[in-house]
Amino acid sequence: MTDIDTPPITASARGGGRESRRSRTPSSHLLQIDHVTKRYGSSTVVEDLSFRVEPARVTGFLGPNGAGKSTTMKILLDLAAADQGTATIGGSRYRDLADPVRTVGVLIEANAFHPGRSGRNHLRILADAAGIPFDRVEELLDEVGLAEAADRRVGAYSLGMRQRLGLAAALLGDPPVLVLDEPANGLDPQGIRELRKLLRSRSASGDTVFVSSHLLSELEHLADDVIVINRGKLVTSGSLQDLQQAATLVRTDSPDVLRTTLESVGGVVEPTTDGLVVRGLPIDEIGERAHHAGVILHELSPHAGSLEELFLHWTSDGSVETDRGMAS
Amino acid sequence: MTWARLVRAELRKLTSTKMPWAFLTVLVAIAAINAVAVVFGTDMDGSKTFIATADDQRSLMAFAANAMMIAGLFGAIAVAREYGHGTVVPTFLVEPRRTRAVGAQFTSVSLGGAVLGFVGAALTVAAVAMALPATEYSFLVSTGGVARVITASALAGAAGALLGAGIGALVRNAGGAVTGAVIALIVAPPLIVQLNANAASWIPNTLNTVVSGVTSEVGVGAAIAALAAWALVPAVAGLVAVQRRDVV
Repeated sequence: MTDIDTPPITASARGGGRESRRSRTPSSHLLQIDHVTKRYGSSTVVEDLSFRVEPARVTGFLGPNGAGKSTTMKILLDLAAADQGTATIGGSRYRDLADPVRTVGVLIEANAFHPGRSGRNHLRILADAAGIPFDRVEELLDEVGLAEAADRRVGAYSLGMRQRLGLAAALLGDPPVLVLDEPANGLDPQGIRELRKLLRSRSASGDTVFVSSHLLSELEHLADDVIVINRGKLVTSGSLQDLQQAATLVRTDSPDVLRTTLESVGGVVEPTTDGLVVRGLPIDEIGERAHHAGVILHELSPHAGSLEELFLHWTSDGSVETDRGMAS
Repeated sequence: MTWARLVRAELRKLTSTKMPWAFLTVLVAIAAINAVAVVFGTDMDGSKTFIATADDQRSLMAFAANAMMIAGLFGAIAVAREYGHGTVVPTFLVEPRRTRAVGAQFTSVSLGGAVLGFVGAALTVAAVAMALPATEYSFLVSTGGVARVITASALAGAAGALLGAGIGALVRNAGGAVTGAVIALIVAPPLIVQLNANAASWIPNTLNTVVSGVTSEVGVGAAIAALAAWALVPAVAGLVAVQRRDVV
């Protein structure tokens, strides 16, 4: 079953009276993970992890399976307790937020629904608890394209429809912060495009949007910033555009000599069909090192890698924290 | 979030699936079995002395022990399925203060158990009342006696549901929670009595017959307090466990 028959997610899915329903002070919606460590038994899932997620930006959260992304999000949302460190939203722990539903919209468990309950009732339960009028439920069901299926059991929904329902739940309180774990899972291409529009629109209006995804090409189109973790540790963070530029393409007739020279001073050198892609060293230093080594260069230029290429580089063994600060 | 809103949301959870209808079906079936027993059942000697007096009829209609067991299963499933289906995640996101969230859940489940106990007893009384004209005996229980049987059943339902809810929060798995409720209400009490014969007056079945006005091993107030203790011990344990655990 697919969700081809469901209308697109409306990019303006935010409900009327938004301005009156919440405070719009972007600085209060900074997400901060500060030296967080989480262990399960003898296994360290997240280790001394620190990063910030800025308002008015879409921040992608990347890492291989089991890297600790979902655990980090759960710690941020007080669904899991950190062994060390703190995770705050606008300076407060999630549990201390005065009105969590109107502050943070969350999609973290794709199948957190009772299969025998209707989509409408799922949202009404949340609306009941949060004191949100049922009009908002109807509005969101319409906006995520589930109005027709609202009285069907969620167990009969496709994965895409469940994602839409999860997004509707996240948007219920019209919150200025969105924390979404794999929101594009199961969505058809049109749904993904509309989701992208929605999140871009949210960030453009000052919202904090924090999205984990394994769909690298999707995040490449969506994210302003990325945070990459591997084995629970920070690999890199910063503006995606800067990170994509944080490599240098070098063409030379003496690649082996240059590679040895650059690697000896901490550079990460990857041979490609176009030449050597060098990370971890500024472009000026690469030129100077080549000059001192007597290596003739035929090209020395910034190299914009694809997110997939960068991701594979970031998450390969030994790359933990090697790129920290490269974007600055 | 106000407490009333949280309880209302939890009640909507309970009423927005088919689970209450499944339990209602069980109650109707038990009432029907009682009616059949009244019409066709006999004692060992072939007589129908088990419905001959008001006390006999009240004993037959005393539904509280059944209510506690059925509501125990209801509470165990209602809470454990939250973890099984992951719906506890949105619950804790809406109300991250878990004591309040779980407290509201336990309150609504207890209310649901009370309703099940009330309905179960009312159906049983009605079934017996409708079946008696088919025998040589008339309905002999006073209005006050009927009210006490039904009230005792509602109380037992609330207590059973709370006990089951506590076990559900502890175990977090519907199958395990049901097993736990059965152990707590059916398996453990006779074992406790075997270990200490004086405990016979304080096991749920005895306490329920006391509250129903069928027997008088202990005072009614003491029986109600003891039933509350049977419910509160697992409930408090479940509440404490939920505070400490991650939602994974």
